[in-house]
Amino acid sequence: MGAVLQKLIPLAVGIALLGIWELSVHLIQVPIFVLPPPSAIGHALVDNFTTLMGSLWVTVRITAMAFFWAVVSGLALAIVFTRARLLEMALYPYVVTLQVTPVVAIAPLILIWVGFDHVDRALVIIAWIVAFFPMLTNAVQGLRSTQPQLHDVMSLAGARWWQRLYYLELPAALPSMLTGAKISGGLALIGAVVAEFVAGSGASTGLAWRIIEAGNRLEIATLFAALALLSALGIALFYALTLLEWLVLRRWHDSFAKTR
Amino acid sequence: MTRAPSLTLNQLGLRYPAHGSAAGVVALQNITASFPAGSFTALVGPSGCGKSSLLRVLAGLQAPTQGDMSAVTQSDIGFVFQEPTLLAWRNVYDNVALPLKIANRKSRLSAQEIDVRVSEALTLVGLEARAKALPSELSGGMKMRVSLARALAKRPPILLMDEPFAALDELTRFRLDDDLRAIWQQQKPTILFVTHSVTEAAYLAQRALVMRAGEIKSEIAIARPASQNQPDNFRAAPSFHAACAAISEALAQGERA
Repeated sequence: MGAVLQKLIPLAVGIALLGIWELSVHLIQVPIFVLPPPSAIGHALVDNFTTLMGSLWVTVRITAMAFFWAVVSGLALAIVFTRARLLEMALYPYVVTLQVTPVVAIAPLILIWVGFDHVDRALVIIAWIVAFFPMLTNAVQGLRSTQPQLHDVMSLAGARWWQRLYYLELPAALPSMLTGAKISGGLALIGAVVAEFVAGSGASTGLAWRIIEAGNRLEIATLFAALALLSALGIALFYALTLLEWLVLRRWHDSFAKTR
Repeated sequence: MTRAPSLTLNQLGLRYPAHGSAAGVVALQNITASFPAGSFTALVGPSGCGKSSLLRVLAGLQAPTQGDMSAVTQSDIGFVFQEPTLLAWRNVYDNVALPLKIANRKSRLSAQEIDVRVSEALTLVGLEARAKALPSELSGGMKMRVSLARALAKRPPILLMDEPFAALDELTRFRLDDDLRAIWQQQKPTILFVTHSVTEAAYLAQRALVMRAGEIKSEIAIARPASQNQPDNFRAAPSFHAACAAISEALAQGERA
């Protein structure tokens, strides 16, 4: 009963809020180009279904690519950093520089360098810049925080560096890496949206562009429909990664001790 | 089990670098001792006296800064730590098999041979039925048994044990002490067993080396008639109490000195 209630309560709150929104818009007679009621947003979603789904697919593709490269490059660089202190000392300040420089400021440069005939590639790079840092720092921290005595066990077995990495450090770092991946996943989506905004008209056809377009035409219901799809995508991504975390860690990690 | 080599240490010393001290901190000095093949020695002493450091040097986890010791390779050594040091994501079987798998580059054991060794080690510690369990599903005593099985599966001629049962309750400790003695009698590895406990040292070993401030201060032989090899028998025997008294006296002498 408790578990069912826990799932039903947020749902009930959501439905109630939508109801209040619908009613208040009708009662106060807010113009539809200021705040459309949920029913109008639903209609916009149905009317523009093909266009919106096409745009959703573009955004999903850019987000997924950026996320994939964030995970791969973050993990690879973390492995390099934890193996070669000198390289870490040499490169880390530049990684931080890349991270703290507002991506909006360097996006035009990336667009020019990659070329307007490969806009998708530029969008992926911009979203990747936003997404990869948490993956890197969390993976480095995870790889570094293995118990020293477990390293002794590996030494006694005569483990080579790659055996140490494969059998001990990577599995021990999984919880941190998955935390990093969860943050990176969200940031990849934000990065994809920012990238589309920066790329401007005609260059991109993702959900962010639909939002700009609908805003310019004062089709606020369509704007909200695209926004709802973006939120749904973010939530789906977050829960997919949470599910992955649960599947991988639930049997052995302390953070899941209560659910065992 | 391969024939155990005897282990000799000659004027072994170890210094750790320390802030504000050019000479560093002395962890071990003038350690000269020999451990005959198949012998069971307990290392007793107060915290910080260098027992664990000595074990780490013997295991090759730390290089001595002075003296020398007979050449032993890490493949000859089984090490049991104070903590179970198990990989939480691998089940009991896979934890025990891991060192064999890793060492397989050199030893070239077949998968079947690894299986035989792991199963045998798990049977020795009485955990064959829990092979598929994860460490989180085991009690403290069981985890320690897995750790012991992992060391035994290598079939090492030398077994180094660093206060392996210190964190367990007394009943569990008694049971594991008995198991360890049985394994030793059956397989005769050379065992060095570090412990805080005078009674544990007297119960398990053939002799006790009492350490203080990085040095071996005295050596006490423990007489255990064959008739008292049965578990529990020996704890009531006069020779057990004599051994306890002798070790305690040696420790107390250190305190007074």
